[in-house]
Amino acid sequence: MFAYRSGAIDRAELEAITARMIPRGPDAGGTWLSDDQRIGLGSRRLAIIDLSAEGTQPMWDVQRELVIVFNGEIYNHAELRASLTRGGAQFHSRTDTEVLLGLYRRDGARMTELLRGMFAFAIFDTRMRRMFVARDPYGIKPLYLADDGATIRIASEVKALTAGGRVSNAIDPAGAAGFFLTGSVPEPFTIRRHVRAIEPGTSFFIDEERGINEQRRYFSIAEVFRDAKDDALVDPAVFVRERLEESVTHHLVADVPVGVFLSAGIDSSAIARIAARKTLLHTFTLSFTEFSEAPLAERFARELGMSQITRVVGRDEFLGDLPRIFERMDQPTIDGVNTWFISKAAHEAGIKLALSGLGGDELLGGYPSFRNVPRMVRFPRLARVVGALRRHPKARLIREYGGTYAGAYLLQRGLFLPDELPDILGADVAREGMERLQPLENFERAIEPDPGTPFGRVAALESSLYMRNQLLRDADWASMAHSVEVRTPLVDVYLLRQLAPMLAQQGDKSALAADLPDYLRDRKKTGFFVPMKEWGNLPPDGTSTRMRSWARRVWESFA
Amino acid sequence: MNVLFLVTDAYGGYGGIALFNRELCAALRDARITVIPRIVRGSVPDPPPHVTFIAEAANGPAAYLRAISNARRAKWDLIICGHINLLPVATFWRPLLVVHGIEAWKKRKIPIAQCRGIVSVSALTRDRMCGWSRYAGPAYVLPNAVHLEQYGIREQRADLIARYRLEGKRVLLTVGRLDSAERSKGFDEVIDVLRDLPEDVVYMIAGGGDDASRLQARARELGVASRVIFTGLFGEEDKADLYNLADVYVMPSRGEGFGFVFLEAMACGVPAIASKLDGGREALLNGKLGALVDPTNRAEIRAAILETLERRALAPSSRRIPEGLEHFSFENFAARAQAIIARAAV
Repeated sequence: MFAYRSGAIDRAELEAITARMIPRGPDAGGTWLSDDQRIGLGSRRLAIIDLSAEGTQPMWDVQRELVIVFNGEIYNHAELRASLTRGGAQFHSRTDTEVLLGLYRRDGARMTELLRGMFAFAIFDTRMRRMFVARDPYGIKPLYLADDGATIRIASEVKALTAGGRVSNAIDPAGAAGFFLTGSVPEPFTIRRHVRAIEPGTSFFIDEERGINEQRRYFSIAEVFRDAKDDALVDPAVFVRERLEESVTHHLVADVPVGVFLSAGIDSSAIARIAARKTLLHTFTLSFTEFSEAPLAERFARELGMSQITRVVGRDEFLGDLPRIFERMDQPTIDGVNTWFISKAAHEAGIKLALSGLGGDELLGGYPSFRNVPRMVRFPRLARVVGALRRHPKARLIREYGGTYAGAYLLQRGLFLPDELPDILGADVAREGMERLQPLENFERAIEPDPGTPFGRVAALESSLYMRNQLLRDADWASMAHSVEVRTPLVDVYLLRQLAPMLAQQGDKSALAADLPDYLRDRKKTGFFVPMKEWGNLPPDGTSTRMRSWARRVWESFA
Repeated sequence: MNVLFLVTDAYGGYGGIALFNRELCAALRDARITVIPRIVRGSVPDPPPHVTFIAEAANGPAAYLRAISNARRAKWDLIICGHINLLPVATFWRPLLVVHGIEAWKKRKIPIAQCRGIVSVSALTRDRMCGWSRYAGPAYVLPNAVHLEQYGIREQRADLIARYRLEGKRVLLTVGRLDSAERSKGFDEVIDVLRDLPEDVVYMIAGGGDDASRLQARARELGVASRVIFTGLFGEEDKADLYNLADVYVMPSRGEGFGFVFLEAMACGVPAIASKLDGGREALLNGKLGALVDPTNRAEIRAAILETLERRALAPSSRRIPEGLEHFSFENFAARAQAIIARAAV
């Protein structure tokens, strides 16, 4: 919190905001207020690296000039620390947090480009009385901001900002419209009108004179694809495995035992296979009374010598947890319930760090959208005819949306269609929401500058929209609710930059599958879903799917 | 022991592979080695006494096949195939195959499984080749050697400083071919970060090739043309002096099988920055001898250059040959080569 215009921070508000996040960090916590009460920092800690009290935040550097609150993990922190030490820097802890302070002192805002990891942090520089704020390139870690013109408040949760009592709970129609269109709230909007998401891959300063200034974009997924030289010196499958192995190794950096969320899918299995060779792994698989992939995952885990836990979830537990799910769900979303239960299982087993295969489809082109979207853009008429023949409800909108990548993507990923919103939200909210949201322009930003190839465009759209707004957000709130940190070795800017040259034309998931046993490799792709329809007593909803009904149920808990 | 060694080139050849082949012959001094080359470019110096060099095999396909068929009639204790491209003619013997770099990084239809073993200049090349070929036989790593006595920290030559206008400058150096088809040395990346380095830092690119005009254009576009120096081809006799002009040897490459140039630079007391994505990593003993960067991250390249320059500024007399470089001395190379041959010949 920074009262940059005038006045002072309310300590009670700072503490209320921090307290909302106790499940995220049950191990320790603290707050700090500047002498003049203009600046306040609060933190909750989930200790993963350097478990000692030296890791507690807010954390000062040894000179006591810089103070930081940091959410996330820096996987190359040892390397960065070595470089800083060679330059004479001193440290009082072994944490990655303190490395951020050293890097800031040496490189200023440019420090973000050297970080491999997931992060959201704020550093207050007492020498210059200004705050430096940054969020990771993919947006793995959330970061939200509310600026009322006098005080800027920043936190990892929308609900934390409103928990302080000074940020209004008013719904943002753009967030509401976005939720029903896509199943999650598209950044930079949130479900609250006065809170916005800080853009991933950017940083800025706050000072008393200018408020937010020196905004800087240091990373763009679209740019990586645009700049990728089309070359492949190494056999593509070999290179993908080699680079993935390196990424997984980086993501294992920890002083606590490591788990893996193992479905019987290719991505999580490939990650587990690599990680199992480096460390003793605990794997977790969900099994539902109605549907289960557990036998395959169990067999695989046995073959790799991993300690495997299959967690069975039934209707009663789901219904029993539902109030808490809605309470911890930071923003409305149609997904995340699976992560909720698997994280619950990890927590029950005493594991607070787990790897996930999230991001493999976005990186290597595993979704149908990689085929469908470019096709819809090239042949919108054909798509319309085919859609009409199949009586697809979206077919009628292909004329309007089918000709551009952003439009085709909206159709591909759409949950409800724009002309259905008035029925759900009311005409006024729907109209204002669409006007503020401008979904096509919102999507367009993901592919500026032009990534240059159909694959690059869809990959940038999937990574900047579905993955960021939906998958990563859900992975975050649903795991942190159980004090479990999820790490995503397939969502990694180093990996992306390394693989982009060979991915620019075409992705290929078979590289990941090559080392897996036949019973995993030859399966058809299945979703990782929870039998919501069976459990939720969801009403039949005309032509809509179970997810559409679930979306309405979720909405009731926020509206 | 009678050894037949099929090579692309060795004596009277240029470049890293020819050098490696000559070194391997020199290392196996207790064997009688017959070398059949595909190419002889320059004049052939006298090979060591234990080596028979069939230079006439390089006189065209007919002469080559004649030499091979003569060799087939002889008895050998071990056949070494010095290049993956020669494997089709060597398969017959179940040879020991030597792999160097990118030629072995991509899938090709070649009977690798027939080899009795693989010798690779780096673990990286070994792993990449075993990755696509699924080769599971014995695989040895034999990194290049550097003759430390041929290098060393020397007085900087005034004529070179004047020629390249290096007075008062801090010099980054890369030595390598400017190949427009490959573009994997990392010249582009260093030119890009030059903008963000202090004005007195210049970049010297030493080597010939057809990509110079493109790189010059890039430097102009970025406004750093006056800070990029192209030496063109240089004589072998000037090499050590050229290295001695540099403050930092930097090569954020993606295509080096090993990166012999790093050994040369370090043998001249020049701190080296290599790539994490190719064999340069092993030339720096995984970072023990110098800094490693990801060539796809400009910020990392820049930070490593700045840090290396800064350390030099703190202790200007600190030019030194890094401890541990003797790992790559010729004596160690020879001992490794002999051990490999002894195991492979059994």
